[in-house]
Amino acid sequence: MKEISQDINARFLELGVEIPVGDIEERLDKMVNKFKVPKEEARRSVINYFLKEYNIPRDEFYPSRSEGLKQISELSTDGEWVNLKAKVVQLWENTHESISQVGLIGDETGIIKFTKWENAELPDIEDGQVYLFRNVIVKEWSGKFQVNLNKSSSIERLAEDLDTGASAGKFASAMGESESPRKKVSELNADGQWVSVKAKVVQLWENSHESISQVGLIGDETGTIKFTKWASAELPDIEEGKSYLFRNVVTNEWNGKFQVDLNKSSSIESIDEDMEVGTSTTTFTGAMVDIQSGSGLIKRCPECNRALTKGACMEHGKVDGIYDLRIKAVMDDGITTQDAIIKRDVAEQITGLTLENAIALAADALDQGVVLEQMKKVLVGKYYTISGTRLDRYLLVDSIDELEFLDQKELDELINAAEAV
Amino acid sequence: MAGYTREVARRVFAQEFRESDLTYKDGDDQYAPHYLLTPTGARVNRMFIVGTLVEKEDIGSDSEYWRGRVIDPTGSFMIYAGQYQPEAAQVLAECETPAFVSIVGKPSTYTTGEGDVLTSVRPESIFVVDGQTRDLWVADTAKRTLERLKKFDNGSNDTAKAREHYDPDPKRYYSMVSQALRSLKETF
Repeated sequence: MKEISQDINARFLELGVEIPVGDIEERLDKMVNKFKVPKEEARRSVINYFLKEYNIPRDEFYPSRSEGLKQISELSTDGEWVNLKAKVVQLWENTHESISQVGLIGDETGIIKFTKWENAELPDIEDGQVYLFRNVIVKEWSGKFQVNLNKSSSIERLAEDLDTGASAGKFASAMGESESPRKKVSELNADGQWVSVKAKVVQLWENSHESISQVGLIGDETGTIKFTKWASAELPDIEEGKSYLFRNVVTNEWNGKFQVDLNKSSSIESIDEDMEVGTSTTTFTGAMVDIQSGSGLIKRCPECNRALTKGACMEHGKVDGIYDLRIKAVMDDGITTQDAIIKRDVAEQITGLTLENAIALAADALDQGVVLEQMKKVLVGKYYTISGTRLDRYLLVDSIDELEFLDQKELDELINAAEAV
Repeated sequence: MAGYTREVARRVFAQEFRESDLTYKDGDDQYAPHYLLTPTGARVNRMFIVGTLVEKEDIGSDSEYWRGRVIDPTGSFMIYAGQYQPEAAQVLAECETPAFVSIVGKPSTYTTGEGDVLTSVRPESIFVVDGQTRDLWVADTAKRTLERLKKFDNGSNDTAKAREHYDPDPKRYYSMVSQALRSLKETF
């Protein structure tokens, strides 16, 4: 209250009129506390009251509309106070209690994000309406500009329309009325990308939180990605096995992995098409430098297929396990390491050791460990190219090939590189 | 173990390894890894070698302690395996010489009474391999060494440290690489 009063006092001083802060505050207080007038409205009415009192034309107090008005494309100075005439292009999900409204406003020249703080106590603005935003401050955050509406700002609703169509196009990457760029799942590899994706629902997971409406995996021919559909997005439910066009979804990085969020700005359109869901294949060439414990001849739980430790399943306790072959290998190319899991069929093919042979070998030696020893002897210390799908830090190997020939062309290139200096 | 990443097995030729004598610890923590910094700026906590095991000898008195000499086109690596490297020691005990072997191991240094630093390798594993794998290793190691030489002027922490300590002549290492690669040509 005091701040607003001082603000008004200062503004009147600029016009050569001194109004005691106490007078302003008294009047303001009466409006707000006695007559329950919202602060912004009270402020305006107090100003108008004193304008009348001192016979100052309104135009003199309020900066003329064209003067002092900035265009959104001109906003490029952090900390600059500006007045804007802009249309509310989009209102976003509010993520924090200290924020009253957040979204995009635009004029003919551009679109910019705005944040209206709760403590600004400004009236709510509506989608598609044009307003005069006074005393808003330009902020830069990681290279991008936005405007903040705070206590010193004011909002005036205008009865005119603004064409933001042209600038919406320019803002396509951060969405807007036009659709975000269409991407393949494998291309979703940056945080905060607004995209549209055509994908099939591969899996729906158990929902762990009431603020989440649905969570699971979606995929296209290039791979799969986790999605979260927020309850507040109020989007229709999607079904496993069906394909959809997901418009205006935003990517999100967590712990080095990407996912997409479906929020209020997103839309879902069901498409009548069965999509092939591919898995993105990763290839790695290097030396196998280790085979880790838990490899070789192992037993799995008949219930849940987990590998047993000391004959017991973590979930089901002591069970009669089923034999399997598995190799947890560490590949290393001198720059990075890659953990790889090789399943039975691929392991049999590369080691030449079948599951039956392995069981017999272990029975002869009265020790399962001999299978691991045998595998190490065959595999470790040699060069391979592996390819498969990535799962966390592992590469699930679909194929493994030993490098057998030194490529003569590459050798000549290396010699040239070494002798060019 | 959060934040644990396995140390990459670096590729370094015997000549460069022999000329290395700068070790340091990454941090003050008692579990902080030790590194050997080579003249071209490889930061070695683990290494991968494929070469020819030409000599082996049990030099232990009470228990077995194996010493082996492994040759690459530029020189030789000394390897030592005792009771704490049982798998590697067993392979050394059983294999014949000469043999192509691949070794994954940790670099180790020893300072003599005269102040000379001798480098050797403490193997985590040794396996007998074929000649093809050895040729692939020579090309692989040449490639990685060239990459280090190329980045030598970029002035990362490691290369800066290596420059200051060794003041190496890059030309020597380029010619080491070319000699190693040329040796592959001769075998065809």
